[in-house]
Order: sequence, then structure tokens, then C-alpha cells
Amino acid sequence: MRRSDRVSILVPFLIISIGLGVLAWRSYELSARLEDGVNTLAMQYAGYAADITARRVDSAVRNGIFDASEEWQQLERKTPNPDSAMLEQWLKSNEWITTAIYVPDSDPTNSIFVSEKAADNSTAPKLTREFYTSSGLVRYTYDPARLVERVRPVLHQQPLMQRSETEPQAQLAIVSTPSRQGEARLTEGFAYVAPLGPPLQGYSIRAFVRTAYGTSGWENARYFSIWVSVVALALTALGAYLAMRGLKREAETMKLRGALIANVSHELRTPLSMIRLGAETLKRSSKLTEKQRGEIEDAMLREVLHLSHMVENVLDVARMQNRSTKALAFTPVRPRDLVTSLVSTYESWIKSRGFEIALQVEETVDEQLWDRDSVERAVLNLIDNAVKYSGDIKFLAIALRQSAEHVVIEVRDRGIGIAAADISRIFDPYYRAQFSDTQTRRGAGLGLTLVQQIMVSHAGRVEVESTPGIGSTFRLLFPRHSASATEPVPSLNVLPEIGSRS
Amino acid sequence: MRVRIYRFLVVAVSLLVVSAHADDKKPKCTTPPAECERIIRQMLSGRRYLGVQLQELTPAGLVVKSVVEDGPADRANLRPGDRFMAVNGKPTRDANIQDFKQILTDAKETGRLWIIVQREGILKKIELRMEPYTKAQIDKIVAQHLAEAHAIAAAPQP
Repeated sequence: MRRSDRVSILVPFLIISIGLGVLAWRSYELSARLEDGVNTLAMQYAGYAADITARRVDSAVRNGIFDASEEWQQLERKTPNPDSAMLEQWLKSNEWITTAIYVPDSDPTNSIFVSEKAADNSTAPKLTREFYTSSGLVRYTYDPARLVERVRPVLHQQPLMQRSETEPQAQLAIVSTPSRQGEARLTEGFAYVAPLGPPLQGYSIRAFVRTAYGTSGWENARYFSIWVSVVALALTALGAYLAMRGLKREAETMKLRGALIANVSHELRTPLSMIRLGAETLKRSSKLTEKQRGEIEDAMLREVLHLSHMVENVLDVARMQNRSTKALAFTPVRPRDLVTSLVSTYESWIKSRGFEIALQVEETVDEQLWDRDSVERAVLNLIDNAVKYSGDIKFLAIALRQSAEHVVIEVRDRGIGIAAADISRIFDPYYRAQFSDTQTRRGAGLGLTLVQQIMVSHAGRVEVESTPGIGSTFRLLFPRHSASATEPVPSLNVLPEIGSRS
Repeated sequence: MRVRIYRFLVVAVSLLVVSAHADDKKPKCTTPPAECERIIRQMLSGRRYLGVQLQELTPAGLVVKSVVEDGPADRANLRPGDRFMAVNGKPTRDANIQDFKQILTDAKETGRLWIIVQREGILKKIELRMEPYTKAQIDKIVAQHLAEAHAIAAAPQP
């Protein structure tokens, strides 16, 4: 695949990313403006609520003080000569006044003094007020804290009528000696502290307006939009990465397939030309001795065998990859017979290549339910590989044995071996390990793929041990069935049986 | 006749109740006496007084009703029956007591008053200043409160 094609797959992701970025920025901007608006409103309302409430508390205090003096005047009008009981009554009805003294104009020495409260909180500052009456002077001390309590009900009323829940609501409180006045931006909202007028100079009204935007984190729409866009961008990046990876894989498979076509056509052409050459020689040359004729016939036969082997390989791989057109026929097979007959069939060919064969067959291997043709093909492919990839030391060991759980067929050579990096990939279709002379060795890169697929269909597996320069060992591990078991194991029925091969 | 008996009974019962109530409330003031004395002295010390009692005329006008003996007004030769025509330059011919108290409040800084009075048809100018309570007066108020509210006999004055 061309480079520009790979880049072009990124274009949609790029467009999505840009779109997401624009959306996120827009959303961030909008929520920031909304937040600004809400904050401004909250700030203004806090200031307004604090100021208005402070004025209302002030007037409530003034009213309280005025009401107290009015009340005394009323009492005095009823009784021209006030006595201590009357002063006491007045003190009781105005619970914020602690002590009072009445000094009549006519006789100052006849003053009345009443102290209502025990010396409870003597540390609290006491304020003094006085007012003239028609017959004298009343002077009293009072506790500002109690006066505050008296006017506290004013706080329960919001300065503005709340028409809906979205309108800001202030929490109003009377605080004493605040550290600072004016507005303060808090984490959850805004507070405004407005001082009270005399006589409650030490007190202030604090209005707090909570804003939903004051918090940071998930609850804040502004940060939420950022988080969502970050997640979306991450997902886009992941998609782009996956697409790139898929493309890369695709490109590799394409490369391998191209190599296969080259390989297969080469592989097919070579034996065909050999056969053609042999046939032409046989037809034209009448002077051939019997021995020469026999040699040519053997060579042709070998090439035909090779050709059919390879065609079978290609076809089988295709079939087993499709998994539908060919069924395996599981029949009772004696592994010992299978191996010995296979070796005896190909012994002459192997020996003609100069190999030494060591055959180790355990006599006691149980009968197994195998597809005979497939297993033979697997073993043959391993032998073929061993023959193909051997150097100067031409040695081939074939062993059959059984363990508690497996029946093992082992093919060992002392050939060139497989590099560690290649081992994981030798079972991939069309893959051929890289050697200095890969091209000179014949093959389509399908043998081991086929072996693996056969083993999978038999519920077994392939093991490889290999050291470059020393040799390779391939082990086929079949699950072992005891002699008594005649029924096929259910897992073997993965491949539907459409018909048995002759 | 019957009605009279009932009335008598009601009066007697209410008198009994009142007297019992008064007996219960013998110590009227719950504050410790020493604290009371301290507060009284604090509230009265430095307070200035005039020593005159006024009476409102109908429909308007202020007339001296009584003068506290040896008070500032007495020493300034203010007499019962004097009518206030102006105080500190403000006409008080039609004033009531509240207006006069307001003038007193305004003059609190200096404590000085000059009053034009009408005595037996003659206008007279009287200057006086408010004076603080004397120690003897304050002592008397304290002793009176202690005796009345705390049932403590007045301590012999040194």
C-alpha cells in the first residue's frame, strides 16, 4: 500500500478531531460565559441582600429602642409617680434591657433603680442609652447580643421575592466582629459583609449566595466539557492507531501473498519443465540405454510426486482455512503402522538426498482416531522441511512414543535451525524464514501452516525447539485416547463430515 | 346591699393577694447588691441635672412646678410659677415638655442654659448650668435602692 493511501485514512479522524476540538472550545467558552454571568449575578445579589438586610436590621433596632421608650411613656402617663414595680414590668417586657434607673425631675434623690439580670455575662460589652420623659429621665443599659436576637427574625425574609428556584438565594446571618467587610469570593459562592449602624457597630450582616459554578471538578460544566472532549480525542486517537495498525497488517499480508504467487509459479514451473524435458527426451532419443531410461522415468516420477504434493498442500490450506468444503474422516489408525509405512514409502527418496534415517517407534502405542491422510501429510511436511533445510550434516530422526496424555510424533534434524525471531511466525501462511539462500530452497511457505491446522483439527498442537546452526525438533502432540475408546471425541466434530475421502 | 357586700369582699381578696405577692417579692432585685451599687454609681456619675420640675399648660406652654432644693435651678433663682418664654434662643411659648427635653439634649455638650422666664408679668433672663449629681445624692439613691430592693439598711455615712 502506498504511503499516501495510509495517510489518507487519517483524514476522517483528523476531521473528527478538529470538529471535536471546535465543539469543546465552543462549549467551554459558552459555559465560561454562563459561569461569569451566574457569578456576577450572585455577587451583585449578595451585596444587595447584605445591604438591604443591614438597613432593615438597623431600622428594626431603632424601632425596638423607640418602642421601649414609648412603652415607658405610656406607663408613666397611667401612673404619674413611677415606682420600682413599674420599672420592673417595663424591664420584663423588654428583655434586652438589663438595668434601668429612673430619675424624676422633681426629686433626683428619689430615683428608682432596677437590675433585672444576674451578673451572667459580665464580660459582654453593655451599651447605655437614655431618654427624657415628661417627668424625668430614664437611663438604661442593655446587651447588644440580646438586641440582635430580638431582631433576628428579619433575616428569615429574602430581600427579593423568589419567583423561581433558579433565582439566587442568599443565606443571611448576623456575624460579630468580621475579619473583613465587603465581598469575598469563596469556593462555593460569594459572600458579602455589610456593617450594621449604631448601636450595633460590632455586628455585620453576612449574605452568602451559593453558586453551582463555584465548585471545581466534575460538577462544574466548564471542566466537564473539557473532560468529555479529552475522552473523545483519546477515542479518536485510538481509532486512528487501530486503523493504522490494520493497514500495516494488510500491507504485510499483501506482501506475503505477492511472494506466494512468485513462489508458487516458480515452484510449479520447475517440475513442469523437468517433466517436459524428460518426456521430450524419452520421445526423441531412441538410443537411450535401459538404465538411462529408468533414471529419466524416476526423475519424472519424482517431479510429479513433488508437484502433486505441493498442489495438495496449497489446496488443503485453502480448504482448511475455509473450513467448509473438506471434512476430515476420523478412522481408527495404528500410529505405528502409519509412521513405518510412511517412512518406508519415502525412504528411498530421503536416502537419495544423502540422509541418514533413525527411526524410533514404540511398539505399545494405542490405536487412535485420526484422519490418516492428514496426519501423513503433516509428518511428510515435517520430513520435507527437515530435508530442505539441512546443511552438511544430513541426519533425520523420526520417533513415535506416547505419554500419559499425548501421542507424540517427533521429527528431528541437524539442519540450519530457525532463528528465535522467526519461530513465532513460521506457522503464518506464506511466511518463509529469512535465510541467505531462501530463494534457492523450494517451497511455498504453506507446509507448517498446514501442519498446524491439521493438529488443531485433531485437538493437538505443534511444539518447536530449534537452535540456529544445530538443528530443529518438531513435535506433533495428539491427545491420547485409550484403546477402549471407540467413539470420536466430541471436540473432533468441529469439522462437519460431508463425505469421506477415498 | 348585697352588691356592697360583694364589692367589699372583692376588695378584701385583692388586697390579700397583693400583700401576699408583695411578701413573696421581698428581695426584688436578683443582682448582687455590690453589683447594683457599682452600676448605679457608674450610671449616675457625671450625669448632670437641672433640678426643676415642669408642668405643661393647656393648650401650650411650660411652667415651673417645683424646684429641687439646693439644686442648680434653685441656686439660679428659678421659682415655681415661672413660665419659660425662650430657652437658648428657641421660643418655648408654645412648647411642650418633649421640646424642652430636646433642647436639653442639644445643650448636653456645654450644659449651659439661658432661659427667658415670665414671672408675674415681667420677663427675666436666667442663666444656669446643669450640674453633676453630688456624691451625697448618689449615696442616697444607692442606699434607697439597697433598702428597698435588697432589704439592707443604709450604712452609716461617714
